[in-house]
Amino acid sequence: MAEGIHLTPIGDGNVLLEPGEGLDPGNPEALVAPVLEFLQRHEARRLVYDLKSVRLIDEVYYAWLTKLNATCRIANVEMVTVNMQPAAAYALSLAIKQSPPFTCVLDIHNLR
Amino acid sequence: MAKETSSDKTTNQILIEQLMQNVGKISAIIEKQGQSIFGNKNLLSNNEINDYSLEFLELLTMLLHAGEKVDRRGAEYKALRQFFANFSQQIQVRGGDMDEFVRYVHFLQGTFLDNLETDKAVSFEKSREILMLLGTIFNDIILDVFHIYLEGKEKTIAAQQEELKQTSTPITEIWDGVLTLPIIGSLDSSRTMIVMEKLLSRIESDRARVVVIDVTGVMAIDSQVSHHLIQMIRATGLMGATAIVTGIRPEIARALTSLNIDLSAVTTRSKLSEGLKEAFRQLNIEVSRPGK
Repeated sequence: MAEGIHLTPIGDGNVLLEPGEGLDPGNPEALVAPVLEFLQRHEARRLVYDLKSVRLIDEVYYAWLTKLNATCRIANVEMVTVNMQPAAAYALSLAIKQSPPFTCVLDIHNLR
Repeated sequence: MAKETSSDKTTNQILIEQLMQNVGKISAIIEKQGQSIFGNKNLLSNNEINDYSLEFLELLTMLLHAGEKVDRRGAEYKALRQFFANFSQQIQVRGGDMDEFVRYVHFLQGTFLDNLETDKAVSFEKSREILMLLGTIFNDIILDVFHIYLEGKEKTIAAQQEELKQTSTPITEIWDGVLTLPIIGSLDSSRTMIVMEKLLSRIESDRARVVVIDVTGVMAIDSQVSHHLIQMIRATGLMGATAIVTGIRPEIARALTSLNIDLSAVTTRSKLSEGLKEAFRQLNIEVSRPGK
């Protein structure tokens, strides 16, 4: 698996992505392929991206998220972010002009 | 031994002598005037006025004894300034204002000059020096007190502004997972930042899933305010909660249309109660009267 990405199948077609240290959002091309390969191998329907440890989402990180979401859609996998931190949400709301193309959910317990 | 004349004495010595010889008279005049200025408004009791008058005379004498020239860095000078700083603060705390205090300081200066007039032995030259000395001391005191007064006012204004900010955005958890945020007045950049910070923190801590933003109290809207509102709704969505905007008055709706602000993606309801119903619907909560 790509450095800084930890993927765990959590049942019911959901796969949890926990970003860790070493993740380079500036190079999305190198990251999306192994993630997609994992999702397809586990027949995932939904990718749950946990943003709990992400303190700030800047334009580079947001570009990585949208790129990953676009790739997931091609593979018929829904991408959902959970646990976005208040400071990150505030900064991102200033940076973007439209709502993000992926779904944002409060936490993993609120997944439908 | 030749007797020392007024012209041989320093300014400080003349003033000290004047004070020593007429301490009773000066202190009585000061106390009387103090009672007239501060006593009428019950700012100070008679005992306090008497104590302050004596303390002032004592500190002034100490300052004059300290050296021929007034040393602004000296302990005696600092003590006198501190005395007036405390004095003026006490007056302010009890509802007095700067006018009363400045009148009193001018009066103190006037009392010394009146007393000087009675001493015919003091030359014109010395009188001028004494006037300069007293002017320097008392002007410094007034400036000091003025700065303290301004600082106090600024602190009060800052505290009031902070309190207003805190109370003008009461975020309430009206139901499990439902927050209400009534916005009253205008939304400028600084207020938006505070409101958003509080709102996003509350969404996280209360695990809120719906936020009802009531804008009934928003009297006017411009492109900046609407932009801030949309930003707030977007940030709420990023946290994973849904925003419902209620109470958009006709003139606000008309202004939004004129400004080409698209709220089609935002859930809106006419009243706060309708917004709550929508929140309950989204959370699959049913509220009914007993027996129905």
